[in-house]
Amino acid sequence: MPEPTGRPAVATTRALRLQHVVVPGLLLLPAVGFLVLWFVIPLGQLFLLSLSDPRGAFVTYREILAGSVYRRVLVNTILVAANVTLISVALGYPTAYVLTRLKGFWLALAFWCVLVPFWISVLVRTFSWMLLLEAHGPINAALLALHLADRPLQLLFNDVGVYIGMVHVMLPYAVLPIYAGLLRIDHRLLLASDGLGASPWMTFRRVYLPLSLPGIGAAAALVFLLSLGFFITPALLGSMSNLTLSMLIENLVNERLVWPLAAAASFVLLAGTLLLLLIGARLLPVRQMTLAG
Amino acid sequence: MSLARKITLHALVAAVLAFLVLPILAVIPASLNSASFIRLPPSALSLRWYGAFFQDGEWTSSLLTSAKVAAIATGLSLFLGTAAALGLRRIEGAWRRILSGFFLAPLIVPAIVTAIALYYVSRPLGLVGTTIGLALGHALLCLPFVVVNVGVSLAGLDPILLRAAEGLGASPFRIFRTVTVPSILPGLVGGAIFAAITSFDEVVISIFLAGIEAKTLPVKMWETIRVEFTPVAAVAATLLIGLTLVFFLTLHATLLRSRRPKAA
Repeated sequence: MPEPTGRPAVATTRALRLQHVVVPGLLLLPAVGFLVLWFVIPLGQLFLLSLSDPRGAFVTYREILAGSVYRRVLVNTILVAANVTLISVALGYPTAYVLTRLKGFWLALAFWCVLVPFWISVLVRTFSWMLLLEAHGPINAALLALHLADRPLQLLFNDVGVYIGMVHVMLPYAVLPIYAGLLRIDHRLLLASDGLGASPWMTFRRVYLPLSLPGIGAAAALVFLLSLGFFITPALLGSMSNLTLSMLIENLVNERLVWPLAAAASFVLLAGTLLLLLIGARLLPVRQMTLAG
Repeated sequence: MSLARKITLHALVAAVLAFLVLPILAVIPASLNSASFIRLPPSALSLRWYGAFFQDGEWTSSLLTSAKVAAIATGLSLFLGTAAALGLRRIEGAWRRILSGFFLAPLIVPAIVTAIALYYVSRPLGLVGTTIGLALGHALLCLPFVVVNVGVSLAGLDPILLRAAEGLGASPFRIFRTVTVPSILPGLVGGAIFAAITSFDEVVISIFLAGIEAKTLPVKMWETIRVEFTPVAAVAATLLIGLTLVFFLTLHATLLRSRRPKAA
């Protein structure tokens, strides 16, 4: 009995559709649905709230961006993030360089030191710093014993504490991209520079440093992006006179109960983060961060 | 490089590495203090504050809440994330890149923004101060770790094995159970462990969603250390470090076991 000619083709198309559209769709649906319901929609609601001030749609944004008090918070946020980035990169670069030179046990040990902090809760690490930096803590005791100070220094609840705590959290994020960048440098170029009579310093400045700039750029973008929205460490180690944007958002919600303003501040922070992501996307190893790579 | 410069450089880097690791350990001697306030280094060692921790109902119930929230968040993200990773394997091009980025988005949006957005929608739904509310919030942050870990494992799964199983007449479910699951097991365990640690350590979303009835251990710690430095908080911190260590060793053991048959 002859088969109706059209049917196998239809069946194949249907099987292909099932294999390439329906099955992946069904597998992806729960996670996508969850993110839409519990991430995208809440953020959308918050955005609508930021526009809901009775005085007009964009009044809240004008207040956050132009009001003198809030302007100071914005400037402070950017300043703290920029300084933390600068310090982290400055400390991360020599660390990453030495990592590229180590082998065997010492490499494993050094790597372990960079990676362990990733595993430990930021809250625990910040609390440790609070204990170390307080007026009667071991760091002040050491400074007094070494006669480097004649009375306990105020290291907590000001910028000093914030910088120490934040650099401690951000440093591994600086070391790893720089390290990855340094590994890609072709060492024959250094030998060539050396062979052409350049001094070690000249070789570093004119060959090695320029070649390590992509890694430094990626590290700086990542650290700046993470520092901008950082909350726990500045909230615990800083003070109300040096508010950052994330501390301001918490304050507006919990103390002053002005939700539209808090929502607007959130979207200013989010916009800044996304802008940085766009700028940094060229530098950041996005391929490694997404599954497509 | 001259020897003096080399020594300076290595000393600097040794100091940086010490700066990264040593301060974390400060909470451990602080928790073993016998005095009634924190003193570093402690004058005498005792387990007194561990006793105080486990006798205080607020601290023990926060530990229990943390465990419940982590279990639900891990389970949920493991289910959603594994399915999503399997789905991502089957699509290509722009959609795959867009969706991969979408799953990572909760890690890019600042936690404080996600926290107040969830707080805002959770209040009218009655989810503030509930284990479920917290777990749903944590699952957002756990999901990317599962998708990435399972994704990496799936990338190492040889498609020929799947075709062979199909050719031998196995049903899709049987293939999944007998071929896919065993070979992506390290990814599943890794994803689950990352998810559990993420949930256990999460602070920002939790302080908004915990209310007064569902304080997790980090929330209780956060509230305590904002007011006073008590040795009990150092005990809580030390327990969190210990727990992380247990998770880490579990992961390590799993990875070792999964490698051994291949090496043999």
